[in-house]
Amino acid sequence: MLFNSLSFIVFLVIVLALYYSKLFNWTNKKRMLLFASYVFYGLWNPPLILLLWISTIVDWTTGNKLAVEENQKKRKLWLLLSMVVNLGFLGFFKYGNFLLENFTALMNSIGVEYHAQPMDIILPMGISFYTFQTMSYTIDMYNKKIQPAKTFLDFALYVTFFPQLVAGPIVRAGDLITQFYEEKKATVNQFIWGTFLLTIGLFQKVVLADTLLSDTSDDVFGAKEVLSGLDAWTGTLAFSGQIFFDFAGYSTCAIGIALMLGIILPDNFRYPYAAIGFSDLWKRWHISLSSWLRDYLYIPLGGNKHGLVRMYVALMLTMLLGGLWHGAAWTFVIWGALHGIYLVVERLLKNKIHIKINAFSGILLALLTYTLVNFTWVFFRAREFSTAKNMITSMLFMNGDGEKILQSFDIIKVFVLITILFICHWIMRNTSMEEVSKKTSPWVLGVVWAVMFFLIAIAQGSGEQFIYFQF
Amino acid sequence: MNLKQTLIIALTLSVMSLVAWELYWRSQGKIPDLDDDKNLWAVQRAKVKHASQNDVVLLGSSRVLFDIQLNEWEKETGIRPIQLASAGTSPLPMFHDIVNNTDFKGTLLVGVTPGLFFSTTYPEAGPWKRAQNRVDYFENRTYAQRLNHWFSLPLQKNFAFVSTSEEGWSDDIDLKSLLNNISINNRTGKPQYPPFEAFAYIEEDRNNPMSEKTATDTAFANSIKAAWKFVILGNTNPPDREGTTNFFVSDAKKFIARGGNLILLRCPSSGWIKGGEDKFLSRTEFWEPLVKASNAKAYYYEDYEQLKDLTCPEWSHLSAPDARYFTTELVKIMKADGVLSNSKTN
Repeated sequence: MLFNSLSFIVFLVIVLALYYSKLFNWTNKKRMLLFASYVFYGLWNPPLILLLWISTIVDWTTGNKLAVEENQKKRKLWLLLSMVVNLGFLGFFKYGNFLLENFTALMNSIGVEYHAQPMDIILPMGISFYTFQTMSYTIDMYNKKIQPAKTFLDFALYVTFFPQLVAGPIVRAGDLITQFYEEKKATVNQFIWGTFLLTIGLFQKVVLADTLLSDTSDDVFGAKEVLSGLDAWTGTLAFSGQIFFDFAGYSTCAIGIALMLGIILPDNFRYPYAAIGFSDLWKRWHISLSSWLRDYLYIPLGGNKHGLVRMYVALMLTMLLGGLWHGAAWTFVIWGALHGIYLVVERLLKNKIHIKINAFSGILLALLTYTLVNFTWVFFRAREFSTAKNMITSMLFMNGDGEKILQSFDIIKVFVLITILFICHWIMRNTSMEEVSKKTSPWVLGVVWAVMFFLIAIAQGSGEQFIYFQF
Repeated sequence: MNLKQTLIIALTLSVMSLVAWELYWRSQGKIPDLDDDKNLWAVQRAKVKHASQNDVVLLGSSRVLFDIQLNEWEKETGIRPIQLASAGTSPLPMFHDIVNNTDFKGTLLVGVTPGLFFSTTYPEAGPWKRAQNRVDYFENRTYAQRLNHWFSLPLQKNFAFVSTSEEGWSDDIDLKSLLNNISINNRTGKPQYPPFEAFAYIEEDRNNPMSEKTATDTAFANSIKAAWKFVILGNTNPPDREGTTNFFVSDAKKFIARGGNLILLRCPSSGWIKGGEDKFLSRTEFWEPLVKASNAKAYYYEDYEQLKDLTCPEWSHLSAPDARYFTTELVKIMKADGVLSNSKTN
């Protein structure tokens, strides 16, 4: 089910009505939420709920065993079981065809004639998110960082909680399971703020991403011709806005919906396009994934505790795998590699060049960071390397006679919107929406809310899937 | 932070602005209508699964969609056909789907609009892809998508401002369409698509009469003609007579062999379009070999005194009254021929 759909609005109203009715005690409310979460997922493809159940049962069992088992060897085996099941699902459903294609290419390249039929595998929605979430529970249990979930219901709800099930934020057990132990009820202010966040999230998705930016990005990246520099830049900037509004929109909706139930989810985005440098960017973009990769990949690989070379290797490996997490294609690996290189170069330069950050240098560095980020988006969005290559050369203005495919209005629309986006991120860099709204008059906030609602209603949209569902 | 006050202000302004928006568009002549989208099609396609030998399924391009009126057919035969004809598509993928993915062996009427029917079997070509997308959507639609459709129907039926369309008509009034209509200059230097507004009102079971404006407002009809010219003259791909005929015939044989009743229908066209069809997609070179090879019953409108002089206001489709007349007369002819032997009134 999509947040930007009529069926979800009806679903949410029913869930809220049942949640705040006096029909159920807290345990039954949690059962209702769990059932609703399965309905939310199952309305897309019912049989794939089975994967959720397997993942839930395996990690619940593993967690309980790890809570009591002291033998280090056996503890490792339990951890291994969880990894094999979760990564096995991910490997088969997400990377099955990719691995097969590359194996075939490798065989052919060494002269072995081998042809394989592509497997007809459906990618279960949100599999990358919920497998990472359940694995974090087991790894934390293995490292004795958390207590096991008190009941199976609490754990199952942690894995399946519908607001963040299919596209995050990837929540740690310590942050979410404990919230299920005592009855939760949103205050009136929390409920209204949650509704406001849901509206902002839908506005970002339906109006900004799908209505104003997606067509331009699709046209440019779908073009068969080599494009002019202006067209290539417009398409890439449009995609940078689209992917932010799409994904941040989903996270904002998720946080808002959870808040309407009295559950607090962590921030997933903090105005990333105002980041000064790439370390800063990854503290602001998809925070729940970057912190997951830091805690469960970068640090176990050595982090910064074993010298510079090991740190750079760990950084590069983390970013390469982070790229692959986004999709089973080499273009995503290149996206991750570019981010890894940026991070390594940034750390190298930081030791040699010391820049005092003030308003002027800050905004220049943020612009430089954003410009470099746009080059990485080309690889993220392009389906083929040839498209990426053409786009990059056009963006470097090396294709003087490139084709013009965008109309002037499209270009103006994208540049105006992206400029506003950048300025907003810069202004909001060190604050939060909640802080700003506290200082804003109810009238201004009310008008802003109404304008967003009105624009969502007249945009309507055709229920486009969120981009991150495929990851 | 006084959020209660904020909420009240937001709610009041939202309702007021939406009411004003709705009233404005109604004052501009907009009325609530349904979108002929993949959901509406899929609901009809689902009916084929349970269709009996007495049932009738209509396939084809927009001509069958406009020219066969379901009420008149039902009046004449007692059976309401399942309307699966789809604008701008080749009927071949849908026919292939019905023949190969269902057990249907009732009456299947396939409209032959030469420019689309004989266009291509290439999966990425527009007429094929548009049809195949609908077939695929029917196969793959989720329960959530079905629910969304059912919830959207009352909104589409009651609010003029709910107007997102799959086709992307020039007179759509959703935000994206309104923005797409803004043009500063033609930067690309390529010919621009002329305004192409919706010219029919579809009902829930896809009965689709032409709007009165198209039949009575010559300037409006001319704008549709300009769109046809743009599309047809912009298409440089030659027809694939052999490929399309062979593809269809293979499925036709399968369908007839299992006891199905296959009817081919050539609906009227007029003016510049008819001239082009007669010249480049002539009856003798395209229609007749198809009829012969498929062994289907066939009706060409020009063969019937009562049908041959019908005129299409925008060259390609009949006005609503003419479509009603055409349907009634066609069914009478078919009944007289014993082609619709399963109709309830017989």
